[in-house]
Amino acid sequence: MRSRLHLALLVLAIGVAWPGIATAGEDEPTTTAPPTGTPTAPPPTTIAPGEEALGGTLTESGEPVEGVTIRVEGVEGNPVGEAVTAEDGTWRIPVPEPGRYQVTIDVDTLPRGVDLRDEKRATLEIPVFPGRPSVALFALGELDTGGRPSTLERLAQSSVNGVKFGLIVAMTSIGLSLIFGTTGLINFAHGELVTFGAILAWFLNARGPNWQLILAGVAAAAIAGLLGGALEWSVWRPLRRRQVGLFQLFVITIGLSLLVRHALLIWFGGQRRQFTDYTIQKEWELGPVSITPRDLTIMIASIVILVAVATMLQRTRIGKALRAVSDDIDLSEASGIDVQRVILVVWVAGAALAATGGIFLGTIEAVDWEMGTRLLLLMFSAVILGGLGTAYGAMVGGLVVGLVTEVSTIWVSPALKIVFALAALVLALLVRPQGLLGRKERIG
Amino acid sequence: MSTEPLVAALEIVAGYVPGVDVLTGCSVELHEGEIVGIIGPNGAGKSTLVKAIFGLVAVRSGKVTLRGEDITSRPPHELVARGIGYVPQSANVFPSLSVTENLEMGAYLRPKTFRARFEELAVLFPRLAERRRQRAASLSGGERQMLAMARALMMAPAVLFLDEPSAGLSPTFQDQVFDRVIDINQAGVAILMVEQNARRCLEIANRGYVLDQGRDAYTGEGRELLEDPKVIELYLGTLARGR
Repeated sequence: MRSRLHLALLVLAIGVAWPGIATAGEDEPTTTAPPTGTPTAPPPTTIAPGEEALGGTLTESGEPVEGVTIRVEGVEGNPVGEAVTAEDGTWRIPVPEPGRYQVTIDVDTLPRGVDLRDEKRATLEIPVFPGRPSVALFALGELDTGGRPSTLERLAQSSVNGVKFGLIVAMTSIGLSLIFGTTGLINFAHGELVTFGAILAWFLNARGPNWQLILAGVAAAAIAGLLGGALEWSVWRPLRRRQVGLFQLFVITIGLSLLVRHALLIWFGGQRRQFTDYTIQKEWELGPVSITPRDLTIMIASIVILVAVATMLQRTRIGKALRAVSDDIDLSEASGIDVQRVILVVWVAGAALAATGGIFLGTIEAVDWEMGTRLLLLMFSAVILGGLGTAYGAMVGGLVVGLVTEVSTIWVSPALKIVFALAALVLALLVRPQGLLGRKERIG
Repeated sequence: MSTEPLVAALEIVAGYVPGVDVLTGCSVELHEGEIVGIIGPNGAGKSTLVKAIFGLVAVRSGKVTLRGEDITSRPPHELVARGIGYVPQSANVFPSLSVTENLEMGAYLRPKTFRARFEELAVLFPRLAERRRQRAASLSGGERQMLAMARALMMAPAVLFLDEPSAGLSPTFQDQVFDRVIDINQAGVAILMVEQNARRCLEIANRGYVLDQGRDAYTGEGRELLEDPKVIELYLGTLARGR
C-alpha cells in the first residue's frame, strides 16, 4: 500500500519537474489564419493633422488587383479625388479635412473575371477621423447572388458542427460516466485527462521526436491510458480499500484537477498552440455544408471509435462484465467477476478515450492548458443528460449537448452556447429525471 | 452428523459499522446434501451471517471453513471459483443485462461451460429460456428470483446460499421458489437458506437454526423446531400455533 502512494508521489514529482526538462519555447509559430479573399488593410498609424486620407488594398483571392479606378466624393457629391490601384493593389486619396466621404469603385475598370462580391456595395460611406488614415474595403470575388445563407442552410452547417463537437464530448464523457457507474466516483479531474492527451500529443508532434500527428496522437492516447490506470492503481484503489467516503474522494479529485492543470500550465505555457500537421485546409462544399477534410476525417474516426466501444461493451466478455459491475458491484463480485480488474480497465480505457477526444479537439481548434476544464461542464451535462453510469447514455448525451450548443449559435451569441446546453439538461431532467437512457431506480 | 461439514462457521463476530457487532459469536454447519434454514426475528443478523460467510462482510473474529479449509474473509470471486454460489436478497439480477447475459456473468469464470450449463438449467427454469433476450429489468419478481438462482447455479456449485428467496413474492411464486429449492437440492447441491417465512422454510429444511441477537439460539431438525413451544412462542408467532 505504502509503495503505491510513493509511486503516486513520484509520478506527481516527475510531472512537476518535467517543465525543467522540456519547456515549450516562446518562438512558437503563431496561430493566425492566412489571408483569405477579403482585402487586408494597412495598419492604422498616427499621422499629422491635415494629412488625413482614405486608402486600402484591393485583392482577390489573395492576389493584388492593379489598375482599378477609385473616386472619393463628399457627402453632397462634390468630387474630392481619384486614384488608380498600384501594382501591389494599394490606393490612397488624401482628403482635405475629417468628415464623411463617399468612396466609389469604378466597376468598369475591374479586370475581366473579377467582380464585386456584392454589387450594391460599389459605393461606401466612410468616416475619416482627425489624425488617422481611414480604410475603405471592397470585397472582390465571385458574384454572391445568394446573399446571406438561409436559416435552413445555417441549421445544416451548425448541425454538422454540432455533431462534430458532440462526438468529441461523447468520447470524453464515456470514461467519466463509467468511472461513476462502477465506483461511484465523480471525477472532477477528468478534463485534465483531455488536456493531458492533447498537450502530450503536441510535444510528441511539434517538439522532441517531431512525430507525424497520427503517430503522436496514438502514442499520447496510449500513455494517457497508462496514466489513468496508474491513478486507479496508486490512488483510487487504496483509498477505496480504506473505505474513504465518496464525498471525500470527490474533493480529492478537485484538488487533483487543480494540481494537474497547473502542472500542465507550467509545462506547456499559457498560449494556444497548434499541431504541425493538418493546420490549414480548404473546406469542401457538400451541398449547403462546408467542412475541411481534416474535420470530416475526425468525425469518421470518432464514429468508428464509438462503435468499437459499443461493440466491446455489447459482445466481449470484459465488456459485459463492465456493464454488470456498473449495474451492481456486489452481485458482480458474487458472480465471480474480478471487480478490481474491471475498474482498472475502465480507467485505462476511459483515460485513453478522454485523451483521444482532447487530441481531436486540439486538431480542430488548438491546444491549450485549460481546454479540458472548459469541456468538463459539458461532459457532466452529457453524462447526466444521457443517464448516469452508462456508456451509451454518455454517447447520446454528448451528441445532444454538442448539437444544442452549436445550433443555439444561429439565434444567440456563441458566448451563451454553454448556457443552452445546461438549459437543455434542466428541461430534459424535468421530463426524465433518470436521464435519457437511464433506468428508474426501483424503490423497495 | 459425525462427518466433516461442507461449510462451517465458528463463533463469527462481524458487523458493518466499526465498533458495532451485528453477529456476536454465531456458529452454523452445513453438511453434504442438506437444506439448512436460518430463521429469526428482524435484526437478528440472518443476512449478515450469510454475507460474512461469503466474504461480503468482514469477519472480525471466528472462522469459516469449506471442506475443512479456512476460507475466512476470502474475496467472493475466489469462493465462487471454489464452488459456492450466492443469491442476495434484493438486487439479485443485473437489470440492464439480458437474461442470457445475466447467466453469462454467472459463468464468468468458466465461459466455455456456458452453453452446456445453459441447456441444463433451461430444463429447470423453462421461463428463463423463453425470455433469454429480454432485459432482466423487465422480468417479474418471481422470474427475477428464478434468474438469480439460475445465475448462481451456472458454475455448478456444491453449495448455494440463498438470502430470503421468497421475500416480496406472491404466495404462488413463493411455492414455486421453494419447489425449485428442493429440485436444486435433489440435484446434489447443499443449500443454506435464510428465510423470513419460517414455517415454509422449516418444512423443507433438514435442519434449522434460530438466530437471536447475533447468536445461534436454537438448533434442531426442521420439523422438530416447528413444534418446539419456545420457538413457536418467540419466532413463529401465533399464526404458527394455530396450525
